[in-house]
Amino acid sequence: MIVSAFLKSLFRRRGRTLLALAGIAVSAALLLDMTMLASGLTVSFGELLGASGYTLRVTPKGILPFDSEAAIDDGAGVARRIAAVGGVRAVAPVLGAQFRIVRGDSTGAPVFTVGIDPRAEFLYRLERGRQPGPGEVVVSIPLARDLGVRPGDELALAGELDVTLGRARATRRFRVSGVGDFLYDYAGEHSLAMTLADAQAATGRSAGVSLFGVATDEGVDDETVVRRIAAAVPEVSAWSTRELMGEMDKRLLYFKQLATILGSVAMVVTALLVSTIITIGVRERFGEIATLRAIGVSGRRVLLAVVVEGLSLAGLGCVIGLPLGLWMAGRLDRILLSFPGIPARISFFAWEPRRVALAMGLVIAIGAAAGCIPGLGAVRARLAQALREEAE
Amino acid sequence: MISRRDTETQGAADVIEARGITKEYPYQGDAVHALRGVDLSVARGELIAIVGPSGCGKSSLLNVLAGIDAPTSGRVSLLGTDLYALGEGARSALRLRRLGFIFQRFHLLAVLTAAENVELPMAEAGVAKDERRRRARELLDYVGLGHRAGHRPPHLSGGEQQRVAIARALANRPEVLFADEPTGELDRRTGEEIITLFERLNGDGTTMVIVTHDAKVAGSARRVVEMADGLIVGGGR
Repeated sequence: MIVSAFLKSLFRRRGRTLLALAGIAVSAALLLDMTMLASGLTVSFGELLGASGYTLRVTPKGILPFDSEAAIDDGAGVARRIAAVGGVRAVAPVLGAQFRIVRGDSTGAPVFTVGIDPRAEFLYRLERGRQPGPGEVVVSIPLARDLGVRPGDELALAGELDVTLGRARATRRFRVSGVGDFLYDYAGEHSLAMTLADAQAATGRSAGVSLFGVATDEGVDDETVVRRIAAAVPEVSAWSTRELMGEMDKRLLYFKQLATILGSVAMVVTALLVSTIITIGVRERFGEIATLRAIGVSGRRVLLAVVVEGLSLAGLGCVIGLPLGLWMAGRLDRILLSFPGIPARISFFAWEPRRVALAMGLVIAIGAAAGCIPGLGAVRARLAQALREEAE
Repeated sequence: MISRRDTETQGAADVIEARGITKEYPYQGDAVHALRGVDLSVARGELIAIVGPSGCGKSSLLNVLAGIDAPTSGRVSLLGTDLYALGEGARSALRLRRLGFIFQRFHLLAVLTAAENVELPMAEAGVAKDERRRRARELLDYVGLGHRAGHRPPHLSGGEQQRVAIARALANRPEVLFADEPTGELDRRTGEEIITLFERLNGDGTTMVIVTHDAKVAGSARRVVEMADGLIVGGGR
């Protein structure tokens, strides 16, 4: 009864409590977002890496995927040696290049191009048409939409630009065989895929490969396969998804630092709001509390009631803060994803129930701890003195 | 049934026996001697009024007798128990179950109705909901506020709030009722109504110890204990 009475007291000053509640909700939302942000990009990146079933990457020695223009020279030979490693199910070679689409006299912006093994379905999912054969390309959805091309149309691609003439050199015509959803493209990116042989021929890097995607057999540990590849093909670097996520983590250290700082601020604000509102409430009810203790209500029960006030404030703040935080995360995600060079499928904010529960649990624990301080003050105050002060 | 008179044998045995009570409060590096060696006994069924000028130690003595504040030295036996040999938790439980308190400021919980305020000590003592509702209604009828059971304290007058506080004090059928300036916040007429109520309670067998400045309250007591400068100067036993 005393607990419910104290909870009712919390809403005696409705405006004040609602304002505090709004503050706690915003802090809880911020803490939730920062918790989701701290790991969001890495987790989302990891999911994307394995989206097509190729969970390992093999790159030129010491190079991260597409981190430089370096290539593995003997692509076909290395592919055969990787395929022979125990636990490897499939190997998908990729050669990255840049082409320009030539239309009439004009040369368009560079288009990211990959030479691929059409059977692998590693970097894109075919939406329309068919996989490319020799002299054919699959274009990305934004490219097809913006240039109005469809399967059967022709595209003129140039590998180089003549700077003095401002014109494309060595133009070659390709037929569009299909339209694909490119998994690693940023929003609206123009890209295309052609056969590895065509890409090698067009770039003059015969037998060159930028990286291999490697799919492993079911039930086989990726890390073990990585070690086996490193032993069998020592001139390349093999990366598991976990290792690439670790590299991503290092590069995104500033995101973690930002998330830690803002998350800590949110926790401090929550603690201050809860302890302030409870302290004011306890101070206002000092006489009531002293009287309750005098008539025999135990200090433990009074402390419990005050702590429950803090818990309830924090809990209600979480109830409001959770949807608010998710909404804010969605908005922030859209803003951050509009930055150039970020794959559209990446999310900066990871919905991980464990982390969400941790953030909300933290807010509630802070509420309880913040309620303890004024609660202990009320219980430890000398009873006779409190009664005397109230009578004066 | 309001008091224990019907269920317990009335006896002349002392319910309170205080011996050699001193109480010092630290104040700015010095000590204030609120009680300087007080001896007092209160028999079952007595109504005593403790009177004296402000600062003479009346409230300090009441707090010591009621187990609210430990004396600096001396011994208090309350209802046959060495009060300060008990731990804080046990003293709280004793206050809850066997004593009743009325203060100058009523300090009812503003968010609870009059009936709920009366129920609160019973709820803390573990009385079943139906029983405490029935008894709260009975007690409010006893203090003449049955018709105001559903009202919250801010909607009650000072006199009505003090009646609710009295009903709350009676909730767990106390053997001794302590009151500190119970009419201090009330006008003369309302104060007289409260005095009448106290006389009725004492008539029903409740032992009462009242600290007061009010001559009318003191006049209703069977014994008046006069204090001055931390000592009992009249009416002591």
